[in-house]
Amino acid sequence: MTLGTLRRVTIFAICLVATANAVTKDNPQKGVLPLTTKSKEVRHMLDEVWRLNLDEVQTAAADEVLRKALKIDPDFAFGHVLLSQCSLDPAEQVREQQKAFAMRAHASPGERLVIEWFQNAADHKLIPAITDMNEVLRRYPHDRWVVFLANWWLSQQTEYERAVAVFERSGITDSPGLMNNTAYTYAYMRQFDRAFALMEKYVAAMPNDPNPQDSYAEILRMAGHFDQAIRHYQAALAIDPQFYSSQFGIADTYSLMSDQVRAREEYRIGFEKFPSLPQLHRVQWQTRQATTFVREGNYPAADQAFQVIADQAHAKVMSQVEADTYRQMAIYQPEAKHAIRFLDKAEAAARQGRNAMPFAIQQETAQVLRARVEVALKAGNKKMASSALNRLTQLSQTSNDKVIESAYHGAAGAVSFADAKYNEAMSHLEEDVNNPLSLQRLAAAYQKVGYGTEAKRVSETLANLNDPTLEQAMVVPAFRKCYEDPDCAGNLRNASLKK
Amino acid sequence: MRIWRLLPLLWVLALVSTAEARQLAVITDTGNSTTNVTSAELTRILTGRTRSWPDGKPIRIVLRDPSSADMQVVARKLFNMEGDQARAFVRAHSDLIVVADSDDTVLRFVSSTRGAIGIVDLYSLTKGVNVVKIDGKLPVEQGYFLKGN
Repeated sequence: MTLGTLRRVTIFAICLVATANAVTKDNPQKGVLPLTTKSKEVRHMLDEVWRLNLDEVQTAAADEVLRKALKIDPDFAFGHVLLSQCSLDPAEQVREQQKAFAMRAHASPGERLVIEWFQNAADHKLIPAITDMNEVLRRYPHDRWVVFLANWWLSQQTEYERAVAVFERSGITDSPGLMNNTAYTYAYMRQFDRAFALMEKYVAAMPNDPNPQDSYAEILRMAGHFDQAIRHYQAALAIDPQFYSSQFGIADTYSLMSDQVRAREEYRIGFEKFPSLPQLHRVQWQTRQATTFVREGNYPAADQAFQVIADQAHAKVMSQVEADTYRQMAIYQPEAKHAIRFLDKAEAAARQGRNAMPFAIQQETAQVLRARVEVALKAGNKKMASSALNRLTQLSQTSNDKVIESAYHGAAGAVSFADAKYNEAMSHLEEDVNNPLSLQRLAAAYQKVGYGTEAKRVSETLANLNDPTLEQAMVVPAFRKCYEDPDCAGNLRNASLKK
Repeated sequence: MRIWRLLPLLWVLALVSTAEARQLAVITDTGNSTTNVTSAELTRILTGRTRSWPDGKPIRIVLRDPSSADMQVVARKLFNMEGDQARAFVRAHSDLIVVADSDDTVLRFVSSTRGAIGIVDLYSLTKGVNVVKIDGKLPVEQGYFLKGN
């Protein structure tokens, strides 16, 4: 038995004792979700899933345990919904949600509410999804699974304050996994002091585990503390050299530090050292590796790298991944005709809609249309911009989806901004404040109409955005350069860059 | 690392927190058959010019302090006042409007009071109330009236 295995077995044993105590002490009145599985073994496996998925964030391993548990008890509907939410395989996400919904009759009333909440969310029925979630939270405010799912779903909805409140009201103060999730939520709110405080607790709770160091590193990187981030990633790898996320985290950090050669070398080491990455993790870091070429302005090399991802996605019938890869290729193309060709491919892939939730495909289609508007505006083609915006308007009018609505407002704001209708642009762009392209226009629009304080606030947010995405690569480095250049006219002269 | 799954969000949205517009929902008790009001009707209700529902039931209004940050949009769009003015109006009409300290209190009041109407954040919604459309639109639909910072 290796030390690592011994450690995990020990933690597992502690978890089992803790769970046994919890089972005897807790009941539905005390706010714990009753789980409908007849198998004791499956209950124990769920504890292992919690440890692997939440505390250690070994998602692939956790999914494996969940799959085994569902073989033992295939009627365990809540298990299917958990696998749907945690799976790294888009096809499995779809399949498992369908199974969970089909088997909801076997579940307890609380479990049924959770299943219906995620089914409503998948079906774009936001109001019923919210009421289901709040009903589950009202009944089981101290249940760790409920707290985790609510915290996570609300974060996806960018309802960060509410996500944090769910954790704080739960009274669960000793769960490393929830500390980790909530620290990220604080980081998204740019409340880094609180995030760091939780990270200190997370590291102290699991000093021999790599994920606390890895999370700490990522949050330090989000705050712009790159050197410290790399030291924490290295600490994670020193604890567990197989913890691939930290290897790629180092690569991401070098990319954000503008050292693309070193970043690519670190990605190369990662892919060589970890050939069997889960599919979606591989896509994520391949995308970031390709983005290093965009950051250098080497678009032919970027095209090659992105095309490999698109081809892989096509071969594995991952429609959304394929569509999104082509969409990203379109965004950085200097020539409109090439961009349009990639957007056509993106739409064709999205239309296939294979192995993806319908809502995810609609969200992707909205992003592609939004990219069409950007491309058209760049090319000065108002007719094309208007046509894409009309399609996006129709899509957003028929869906209750925040991502689609944001895409619509981002596109409408871009069109208004291009027409020098700054007040109109502002009201749209304020609805798309998570996108660097919209933030940049919003800062400029505020500046144009004389809202200096608002312009400064948005400029600071944008200048301090350290996320290894293509959109960040397209906008933020140039924005910062302007900040550093006293002759650069524009919106960011008063912004302070936190390094 | 935090657990995640594939969403366009991962690629498209850098997660930053800025002042995103909030959406507020108009709620009534589940016994109320009104499913839609116009924004003008809603203003008449909140300012006491309309005091009963079409079936004759008296209207009971419950709101959070309209000068609070979350309710600025109500003050501006429904009372046509600044927050402090709306607060003063509400205080002067305590026979008409109950002021609650939280969305939970609003929801409890509305779910247990016949003829009640209240306004809460979209993400506070619970099952014990009806959500009323404004000008034919529900929260989350494009062009919804009660949306803003």
